[in-house]
Amino acid sequence: MNKLKLNYTSLSFLPILVCIPLGYQLINNIHFGGFKLFQELLISAFNPKIDNEIIIIVIKRLNETILIGFFSWLVSIIFGAIFGIISSNIFYKIFNIPNFFCRIIRFFLTIIRSIHEVVWGIVLMQIYGINFSLGIIAICIPYIAVNSKVFAEQLETIDYKSFESINQINAPNLSSLLTIIWNPIINTFKNFGLYRLECSIRSTVILGLFGFGGIGTSIFLSFQTLNFRELWTYLWSLAILIILSGLIFKKIKFNNINKILSILLIVVFFITILFSFSYFLYFIINNNFENFNSVTSLFKSSSDLGLLDFLKLILETIILSLLSTGIAISLPPLVIGIFNNNTSKIFIKIFAFLLRLIPTPVILLILLTFNNPSLSLAALTLGLHNAGITSKLLFTNLESQDRRNYIAMKSLGISKKTSWLLGLFSQQAKSYLAYCAYRSDIIIRETAIVGVIGSIGLGWQLQESLSSFAWQEVTIVLISYSSIAIVGELINGKIKNSLT
Amino acid sequence: MNNTLLELKNISYKYKNNLILNKVNLKIYSGEKIALLGKSGSGKTTLISVLNGTIKPTQGEVKLFNKSFEELDRKQKRKITTIWQDLRLIEDLSAEQNVNCGLLAENNFYFALKNLLNISSFKMAHKYMQLCRLHKSIYDKQIRNLSGGQKQRVAIARSLIQGSDILLADEPFNNLDPKLITTIKNLLLENVDKNNIKKSPKTALVTLHRLDLLNDFDKVIGIKDGKIFFNIKRNNLKKLHLDKIY
Repeated sequence: MNKLKLNYTSLSFLPILVCIPLGYQLINNIHFGGFKLFQELLISAFNPKIDNEIIIIVIKRLNETILIGFFSWLVSIIFGAIFGIISSNIFYKIFNIPNFFCRIIRFFLTIIRSIHEVVWGIVLMQIYGINFSLGIIAICIPYIAVNSKVFAEQLETIDYKSFESINQINAPNLSSLLTIIWNPIINTFKNFGLYRLECSIRSTVILGLFGFGGIGTSIFLSFQTLNFRELWTYLWSLAILIILSGLIFKKIKFNNINKILSILLIVVFFITILFSFSYFLYFIINNNFENFNSVTSLFKSSSDLGLLDFLKLILETIILSLLSTGIAISLPPLVIGIFNNNTSKIFIKIFAFLLRLIPTPVILLILLTFNNPSLSLAALTLGLHNAGITSKLLFTNLESQDRRNYIAMKSLGISKKTSWLLGLFSQQAKSYLAYCAYRSDIIIRETAIVGVIGSIGLGWQLQESLSSFAWQEVTIVLISYSSIAIVGELINGKIKNSLT
Repeated sequence: MNNTLLELKNISYKYKNNLILNKVNLKIYSGEKIALLGKSGSGKTTLISVLNGTIKPTQGEVKLFNKSFEELDRKQKRKITTIWQDLRLIEDLSAEQNVNCGLLAENNFYFALKNLLNISSFKMAHKYMQLCRLHKSIYDKQIRNLSGGQKQRVAIARSLIQGSDILLADEPFNNLDPKLITTIKNLLLENVDKNNIKKSPKTALVTLHRLDLLNDFDKVIGIKDGKIFFNIKRNNLKKLHLDKIY
């Protein structure tokens, strides 16, 4: 008997095995109490509430969302670039500074980005109380660290020989640095910056669910009051915002920036830095620590959390991440492969768009209408939302791929599904898995959101500890989160490197 | 002619257990025009990298103006300019922006920013590009859209605009047609230029493959397997010298 050989294609499908334990628990937990609610929710999607009153609310809420999303994006992309530069090797080579400092900054940024913006938001809210600008700050903190990683990675791709040739001119260090990094920074901004704006808007919506304002808050309130028609008005308006922003982004061309626009961008760059610093100082000086007395309270307050309970929570969080990642990796190729015709593709795309559009806590609440809260349900939620994102990437890559192999296989009489698998997907499998490795970093961080809503893992414990101002527990939970995310990032980094 | 500008004392360079340069001793005097001959892989490029301070030798001492590289300030280091074999231009920048990069050393950060934003003056760059017979139509074209010969001349213009005293050129005539080779060779070796702009470098060390280009050089150095086999006046070059290195 031949040995089973794993290749990139089979590895893309293998994680679907997580559905066996997951499905078992979900079937056991099924209930029909919320079936009517679910039915009502579906019908409301085609009959959203539209009147003057709600349109005014939608405009107001969308304005808030755009404002928070835009400012957090602007600040995080600019500071992300700055931190990206000072955490790249090229900076240390030019200024002749020991690389040790680079490693310290990178480690510090890794810790910051390992904690989800929702967690930052909840913690900051507990410390400072409700404040409009907290949403922006909560998004900016991890986003600056995420963006800095992307910028630093791009700067590592600079050809060492170009660096040598500019360095050999013996210009002032700052001039050499600017000349060398200019294009990688601009290109990263072009390719990645606008995607991050979409991410900022999504994060604003999620933070809104936790009371930070914007359309997210309205979505959550309408769901809580079971006002599904209103809920869909908000969701569809959010969909329009995302589609419109996507269309606008596509129209923007950066290739021919004129001189005036260049100067304007530089001015915006410096004003943002100046404004951010002044606001940061203002925020620190003018805010009272409502529920947070001193740093010593982090270590002095007592904790009722036993070691075993705590280990159980950590284990739950890890299992949640693994199950969700399994779904996010395998579901898109499996569904696209099975339903491989044009009509099905349209439906899959719409479904994937909805999964991306509807924030994970809302998906979880919807699923709770016919299933009891459990780890599997939280994993399914997170898995489905991320499958929506991975499927978008897969569709884009498959559509831009050379189809000659696929056509050749079909002409040989091979079935459409097999031709798709071997002629199209197999060529994408490697890069798809590499992206999924990156995505699983995000999934680990996102376990915090479903944890808070679905009473699972460390996310739930964080909410509990914060509610009772048990700062020592909060510190332990945050350190645990950070550790899991850092270990996950290291493993995924190794996987990504072996795939690229 | 007697001032020693550059001096290599017993230089060896090892890379991954391969001895690329083997106990090289060399003195370059002010005003000398030296042709460096040798087969591909003989160590010519490494020698140039050691001379301009890009590579630190595994053993031995490099001296510029009787000082080691570590002792030199930025102004003194600027006295060397290099034309690299692989050109090392910035692909995303335009030809004129790349040539302007040669002026980074004598200008401040604001100049670098203006150059990248494409709002700096390109007058000087255009003069040198004209000297290198580059057509106006390519001034604002990105490097990646230029032909090999055009790229070569942009690299030469970038190097000449630096106005350095010492020119190190690694096969600068690659990709050039015969007519252009003569023009560029004169430009690199002549002390006074035609457009009344800065003088071209006074001292030059140029690696070559073509022997018919040796006419304007004072000295010829032959290198093989990282060792200098001969270092003689051009007039004394005989066939037996060449047989040693080829």
